[in-house]
Amino acid sequence: MNVFEELKKIIVEIKDIPEDEIQLEAKFAEDLEADSLDIVEMLMLLEEKFDIQIPEEEAAKLKTVKNVVDYVEAKLQ
Amino acid sequence: MFFKTLLCDLLNIEYPLIQGAMAWIAGGNLAAAVSQAGGLGVIGASGAEPAWIKQEIEQVRKLTGKPFGVNLMLAAPGIEKVIELIIQEKVPVVTTGGGNPGPYMERLKAAGIKVIPVVASVALARRLSRLGADAVIAEGTESGGHVGEMTTMCLVPMVVDAVDVPVIAAGGIADGRGFMAALALGAQGVQMGTRFICAEECNVHPAYQQRVIKAKDRDTVICGQSTGHPVRAIRNQFTREYLKSEKMGAGQEELERLGQGRYPAAAVEGRIDEGSVLAGQICGLVNQVQPAAGIVADIISDACQVKNILGGIECQE
Ligand SMILES: Cc1cc2nc3c(=O)[nH]c(=O)nc-3n(C[C@H](O)[C@H](O)[C@H](O)COP(=O)(O)O)c2cc1C
Repeated sequence: MNVFEELKKIIVEIKDIPEDEIQLEAKFAEDLEADSLDIVEMLMLLEEKFDIQIPEEEAAKLKTVKNVVDYVEAKLQ
Repeated sequence: MFFKTLLCDLLNIEYPLIQGAMAWIAGGNLAAAVSQAGGLGVIGASGAEPAWIKQEIEQVRKLTGKPFGVNLMLAAPGIEKVIELIIQEKVPVVTTGGGNPGPYMERLKAAGIKVIPVVASVALARRLSRLGADAVIAEGTESGGHVGEMTTMCLVPMVVDAVDVPVIAAGGIADGRGFMAALALGAQGVQMGTRFICAEECNVHPAYQQRVIKAKDRDTVICGQSTGHPVRAIRNQFTREYLKSEKMGAGQEELERLGQGRYPAAAVEGRIDEGSVLAGQICGLVNQVQPAAGIVADIISDACQVKNILGGIECQE
């Protein structure tokens, strides 16, 4: 599974924004207008999709789309 | 009189009624009075100094031997020291507002403390119950203070369906009808804030209580939507000025400066025009100052009556 593609789908589902606006460099809070509840929703969907667990300490560090892609890819290795 | 749900067993209390934490004004006296009356009193320790929290815990213990809670804001600076104190004091219950209790959950639970976070969405409720929350408080946007977007009516049953732990409904409940409605939605208990502002033991300025009593159905507004930290308060000179600035596109910093210190100005100094009079939509139903024990007894006895009335409705499957 391509992590970036799956993550884009998840963000589209939560924020209802066009997929092509979701760049790797995008910051959740500033660029995607995601609040803390949106982020929690994203984490839950990611965990289900990839069958992983994202601990709170790690979750707190995920600020950009790229952060999440890198984190999930490392986790799937 | 008795009223038993799963929440009573979990917290070792007589009635499934929690007094919602209120920063600055819900101290040891109020918490003790509610707990002594059979509910769960909670010290509003959000952002407070450890010395003050210790003093209020001691005050509760002086007045009652029953369980009580302390509310923490986990995003506050210096929270480590507070967590240590809470563990050292073996506080029975911790409720959490702002910030994620995840990182502290294990330590609190290892110390035998029940952890009950406030949630405003299904995903957060699921996540925190998976991390070990003993129950969750599903708080609707009707509430006073910081609010989410979902109404209690919609949020509670969705959270009930999503988690295995007991759900406590908060936001817009101030009498036996609301209490029973919450149970009908699947909640195992309720938390009330606004009604307890008008408890005699609440450490709030009398002018604040009178303002809550005077307030009618459409008298609250939400300020700070654009800051990402919306707050519900009674409409007054301050909220009008704030909302005007917000509408004109004031930046985060300006809004922060505008809102700075406004809540204690109203709650402590009684400046109810220039201060922020945090209260929920249900303030229109609050019409007297009375002892906390009276509030608890009224709610439970009214709830029993409502249950009887509902039992009289004719229906069959
Ligand atoms: C004046 C006031 C202050 C509050 N302060 C806090 C707080 O410090 N921490 C917290 O978790 N909730 C706080 N709340 C929310 C209450 O604990 C409770 O969940 C809420 O009031 C329930 O809704 P109701 O006001 O409709 O009863 C506050 C509410 C009010 C009215």
